Amino acid sequence: MHELSLATEIYRTCRATIDARGPGRLDSARVAIGELAAVEPELLVYAWEAVVSGGRDAAARLEVEWHPARQTCATCGEVMERAPGNWLRICPTCGGPVQVAGGDELDVIDLSYTPDEEETAK
Amino acid sequence: MTQVDVRQRILSDNATAAAALRSRFAATHTLVLNLISSPGSGKTALLEATVRALSGRLRLGAIEGDIATERDAERLRALGIPAHQILTGGSCHLDARQVSGALETHDLGPLDVLFIENVGNLVCPTSYDLGEDFKVALLSVTEGEDKPFKYPSIFAKAAVTVVTKADLMPYVSFKLDDASGQIAALRPGGTMLVTSAVTGQGIAEWCGLIEERLAAKRGAAS
Repeated sequence: MHELSLATEIYRTCRATIDARGPGRLDSARVAIGELAAVEPELLVYAWEAVVSGGRDAAARLEVEWHPARQTCATCGEVMERAPGNWLRICPTCGGPVQVAGGDELDVIDLSYTPDEEETAK
Repeated sequence: MTQVDVRQRILSDNATAAAALRSRFAATHTLVLNLISSPGSGKTALLEATVRALSGRLRLGAIEGDIATERDAERLRALGIPAHQILTGGSCHLDARQVSGALETHDLGPLDVLFIENVGNLVCPTSYDLGEDFKVALLSVTEGEDKPFKYPSIFAKAAVTVVTKADLMPYVSFKLDDASGQIAALRPGGTMLVTSAVTGQGIAEWCGLIEERLAAKRGAAS
């Protein structure tokens, strides 16, 4: 369950980003998770809910963008036939080497928040 | 509502701590191995056999990660090497900040080789850089040969895979060729060793690999 540690880090990053701009409430955060990062998006969202619950950002949503790894064989082109997470370095068709690109994303992309002054102006 | 571009790695704090550890270990020419495997695959037994074979020749030390108990560190201290136990209290992996914290509070003295025995888990520890020179995956023959394809991330990231408990091979249906084929597919150019901490099979090769990598690290530094 390292999803809980990751959710804590995501929240800490979001909070620091907002705090640097003045007080405000986090509405949503968007993260990129790669196929090779060994992270379950669903579990990450559950963990996120546990991390933010009870605080001022309890309603904040976590949006997960899933980034598959691209596997390309020099001879056969892109290797498409595989189950998610089932990535190899050898082409299942010709046995040649497969280039793996991307899929290691583990990033906070952006967030939206409501500054406290907007809240009081309502 | 205000939108802000963040564009930051989730584990950027861990990466910073790992980089600091890496330069610390470079300055002391300490070779650092991060051992990752399932619970009960024989990480501590491999380390015990390693300590028996190498102590006297090299200054060895260990950091042990577990959810509870000091048992692993005690087993290694009993063999005369400094060992510190990090209790994660439920967390499934070690992170770089825990390792630097442990080194701040518990000086293990000058070391040639530091073994970091991660929490038994084939998934979570793979995401956390601990400033190591390389990751070592252990695969015991009782787990079955299908584990590399089932847990591809660790077997792709580990420069060395050590098959353990080879003395039990006659009693289980472990297909060594299948395992080595899977490991080669996930990590072309990686090293696989077959060992038994009980009979001593493969321990000399394993220790030879450690000495080679240590010499290479010192050679690169000088």
